Amino acid sequence: MDKNFQEEQFTGIMKFTPPLYKQRYQFIKDLVGKYKPKKVADLGCADCTLLWMLKFCSCIEVLAGLDICASVMKEKMHRLSPLPVDYLQPAERSLTVTLHHGSVAHKDPCMLGFDLVTCIELIEHLEESELKKFPEVVFGFMAPSIVVISTPNSEFNPLLPGVTLFRHPDHKFEWNRAQFQSWALETARCYDYSVEFTGVGHPPTGMENVGFCTQIGVFVRKYPQTSESAQSEKPTEAVYKTVFKAVYPSLKDEKYLQNAVVSEVIFRAQIIKRSLLDCLMSEHEEYNDDPTERKSKFQPSMNCFSEDLGKLVVEKSMGPFVDGNMVYIPLKTIFSFPKVNRLCGTFEKLCKLIAGKVTLSSDGSAVMLNTEHENEEN
Amino acid sequence: QQTLPSHPPGRQQPQQPRVPPSVLEEPGGHGRQRGPQSVPLGQNGRRPEAGFQELSLADRGGRRRDFHDLGVNTRQAIEHVQESKTGSSGVRIKLTANYFRLTSRPQWALYQYHVGYSPEMEARRLRSALLFQHEELIGKTHAFDGSILFLPKKLGNKVSEVFSRTRNGENVKITITLTNELPPTSPTCLQFYNIIFRRLLKMLNLQQIGRNYYNPSDPISIPNHRLMVWPGFTSSILQYEESIMLCTDVSHKVLRSETVLDFMYSLYYQVEEQRFRDTCAKELIGLIVLTKYNNRTYRVDDIDWDANPQCTFRKADGSEISYVDYYKRQYNQEITDLNQPVLISQSRRKRGSIMPGPVVLIPELCFLTGLTEKMRNDFNMMKDLAVHTRVPPEQRQREIGRLIDYIRKDDNVQKELRDWGLSFDTNLLSFTGRVVQGEKIFQSGNVFDYNPQFADWSKETRGAPLICAKPLDNWLLIYTRRNYDIANMLVQNLFKVTPSLGIRMNKATMIEVDDRTEAYLRVLQQSITPETNIVFCVLSSSRKDKYDAIKKYLCTDCPIPSQCVIARTLSKPQTAMAIATKIALQMNCKMGGELWSVEIPLKQVMVVGIDCYHDTLSGKQSIAGFVASLNQTMTRWFSRCAVQGRGQELVDGLKACLQTALRDWFKWNKYLPSRIIVYRDGVGDGQLNTLVNYEVPQFLDCLKSVGKDYNPRLTVIVVKKRVNARFFAQSGGALKNPPPGTVVDVEVTRPEWYDFFIVSQAVRNGCVAPTHYNVIYDTSKLKPDHVQRLTYKLCHMYYNWSGVIRVPAPCQYAHKLAFLVGQSIHREPNLLLSDRLYYL
Repeated sequence: MDKNFQEEQFTGIMKFTPPLYKQRYQFIKDLVGKYKPKKVADLGCADCTLLWMLKFCSCIEVLAGLDICASVMKEKMHRLSPLPVDYLQPAERSLTVTLHHGSVAHKDPCMLGFDLVTCIELIEHLEESELKKFPEVVFGFMAPSIVVISTPNSEFNPLLPGVTLFRHPDHKFEWNRAQFQSWALETARCYDYSVEFTGVGHPPTGMENVGFCTQIGVFVRKYPQTSESAQSEKPTEAVYKTVFKAVYPSLKDEKYLQNAVVSEVIFRAQIIKRSLLDCLMSEHEEYNDDPTERKSKFQPSMNCFSEDLGKLVVEKSMGPFVDGNMVYIPLKTIFSFPKVNRLCGTFEKLCKLIAGKVTLSSDGSAVMLNTEHENEEN
Repeated sequence: QQTLPSHPPGRQQPQQPRVPPSVLEEPGGHGRQRGPQSVPLGQNGRRPEAGFQELSLADRGGRRRDFHDLGVNTRQAIEHVQESKTGSSGVRIKLTANYFRLTSRPQWALYQYHVGYSPEMEARRLRSALLFQHEELIGKTHAFDGSILFLPKKLGNKVSEVFSRTRNGENVKITITLTNELPPTSPTCLQFYNIIFRRLLKMLNLQQIGRNYYNPSDPISIPNHRLMVWPGFTSSILQYEESIMLCTDVSHKVLRSETVLDFMYSLYYQVEEQRFRDTCAKELIGLIVLTKYNNRTYRVDDIDWDANPQCTFRKADGSEISYVDYYKRQYNQEITDLNQPVLISQSRRKRGSIMPGPVVLIPELCFLTGLTEKMRNDFNMMKDLAVHTRVPPEQRQREIGRLIDYIRKDDNVQKELRDWGLSFDTNLLSFTGRVVQGEKIFQSGNVFDYNPQFADWSKETRGAPLICAKPLDNWLLIYTRRNYDIANMLVQNLFKVTPSLGIRMNKATMIEVDDRTEAYLRVLQQSITPETNIVFCVLSSSRKDKYDAIKKYLCTDCPIPSQCVIARTLSKPQTAMAIATKIALQMNCKMGGELWSVEIPLKQVMVVGIDCYHDTLSGKQSIAGFVASLNQTMTRWFSRCAVQGRGQELVDGLKACLQTALRDWFKWNKYLPSRIIVYRDGVGDGQLNTLVNYEVPQFLDCLKSVGKDYNPRLTVIVVKKRVNARFFAQSGGALKNPPPGTVVDVEVTRPEWYDFFIVSQAVRNGCVAPTHYNVIYDTSKLKPDHVQRLTYKLCHMYYNWSGVIRVPAPCQYAHKLAFLVGQSIHREPNLLLSDRLYYL
């Protein structure tokens, strides 16, 4: 079932721009931008649209979705997988996306330790018994720093054509503002949260008294982060079923970091080698009868070389040099490239990462490349 | 809602610095909504199968073309192969191939239903949601595209009516009507298998790029060239000769770990300012890029230097936004370089009946895939790549087996297959092929055998006299001062190697030039006389402009054969003699000489080869190279080419080519050929239909126009080098490449075609790729065996290589010609050269 879609359907006259569901998601994105949570869970994640939007938020390192219906999650879950580009250029941050199949009326330890938990248009789908357990599971057990709950505001319904009882046949109830607020305040009081009310979907002019189409409560935990020990007392039995898990490539992972560093080191070394050999070549070819051609041959590579480093190499006493058919490029030189520097942090780390992956001189201070390759063919 | 910005009008209006252009065309919903949502549904009686095609397209995110040329049945019109299309000669050989049989439970059928809604529901997702409220009726296993439902089981009634309720409380009547019971071999079923299989690959966490699937978790990194290679698989399920099979092969995707912007910067430092934009266009246009924010590939069609990321466009909801803000807001992608140009990609797929506008891409957010022309020409890079991408038979079989293993071991995949009642054979397909006997090489009274294993006779025929040697009485040798010694050495070496070949040679007229294009041209204008046999230029670098200018002048304005060689090639003493021999042979061919022949029993036959070259850079013209044999021994070839602009039909030019070829044949032989056999290369996937319905009739028309009594037999054979089929020969427990001359015309061929495979060449690394031949038209009444043998013989006749090649010589000649014209000359060469292999 698809709440996003159907909302659009019946708002044919009462049309929101952007569509209401987008406004709800944008609300969450703005909240994420403001509080920069690291771990975010979306309860009732349906087709994972919100999770998909959130995966682009660079502060988030753990994303989890939970839904009672596995097939609706599965339909589009593959868009939560890393993109080819995520492998080509692994990000600084780590990101793990997990989808669970289960009910918000049950506790599962995989939901512990989150900073933000969102429940967008969820509670009105809960049976009475589930709704009763819901506060204890979300506020008592999961106990994240922030909880966002959105639900229809029934006072708005008369403005929506075609809505007789509820906005969706699966809705078990739709609350007016007073009902939602009293439930929310009671819940907040009970679990030591503060709550503020807002909403999305402004009423038309003249009808302001009905309030937002969607009402939202933002709950903030008043007590500090639960300590590890406190959490360990909680039940640890897993009841959710994991239906999807994607671990994004990240430079935090040694394997990807090493790949990135080795690639960058060899690439830089190649550029230096080429410009060095070009310099030597042009010295040999002084008798070339066409001066313009020599210039064009010489300049670009030198340019490319000098881009970030030319000066450095000239100034440092120990620059790259050619010996026989070997080119030696000091690791210090390579380390001074901003990108290499940024990736490794320290010189020692650089040495450690490339050990065994790049051919080094006997004392390990320089990258060694063969000149032969270059002259061989072309 | 994900909408990609469409093209800004930046180019129409002069760009004011720092002021983003205002008005923008509506991108509509053309963005990247997946699949069929935006396809108009239901109302006006869509054909049932059309809907399913939508599904298939949505699933593979691909284009609308049918890459497998399904439904083009050419065999039925060729009478003499109705019973059998197999050949008979040769030694039998046990082969395996990269095919797996698809097995299904007995009496398997796919049930196709039409699903109607009353009142009519527009959106696909709503239609799905309403239908799936009745899962107890239709079951968990289904495929639904909004109006067509496929089920593995038959519902109780032919027409079922159920009721669903929308969330506004509206009652909707859903009518599910059985429209078709599809047997496993129906085209729709085949498409369906392919979709299911792609689903499986997705379940295995393989990433789709273009048409194939790749495994990103274990990439091969080639940092020297900033390349990344992903191993992956191609797959297609089709009806083959005896059964439905999955053909899967190892595929490698070359990706680049740099953005288009990085690439532009490094190019900027390599070329002069004024050439920068041109060079960018040359390198980038035609390449496929991946974006940072979605899993789509785009072809770069243009670069808009007048636009930048600060330009705005109008979103679907009517609001205006700049690219910077859009990508920031939508994908949290920071664009740091605000002065970069933007890339333009023309969308190639239609959405319903609307052709969407061009898509704008930001270089900083795009990664390059594949290789540029420059990289392909980089010997070192290709060598480094080949280490990883050339997979020898044993390893290839292992890697293919791995895919089948994944499929067998993954529970979800197995469940999906079980639900549909499908499964795959776990063993590679094995069958028997034939190895036809090697050819004898005739050269001026001598007969040579070659080792069939190597398919090469350069050693055997070294120094033997040629069939027809053209004298080098009067020839020019042009060189720059630096290359004086090299030029002299060459002349001396030629004097050493030519006598045994039977080539008479005088000393060259040696001319020194400045190393400038104009200097070369001036010398050519001044020194060429009517007696000049050939012009030899020693070039100091591989600069293309000089080469192009020389070739253009000598192929059009002043038609004389020419030989251009880079000085470096001549400078190595170890190889000097071998090089001199090769050059002597090549020059001889260019002047109309003949090297060797094989026995061709067929008489009065003219063999034609056609190949195309598409100029992707200027994007404007295509060139068809056309060559036709002039004599019985197929040692002389007529050539012509058809240059046509975009939108023009190729065949008009081909008709003219065929007419002139027949005229020349008549001049040479004093009669017209009674058979014409056309080898047509350069036919893309999915273009077969056009060929059958348009090109072949034009050939027939052309022959009719020659004369009332002239009624030659015509055979048209489509030659395809890029096929996924790979054959392995079992030899003592190990898998090896099949030997040259291996013919396969069973099992993996298609029942609706008169087709066969030939492995003609030998490769040192990796797996040999068979060439596929599809006889689409044939009134010759030649036995399949004879067509196969003739084809293989023709693979021996390419004079630039003393060995067997992948395609019949006329195809390779046509390729050479089209390439030369497309790359260097850009217009039709002078017909005075047409009876010589000047384009070698």
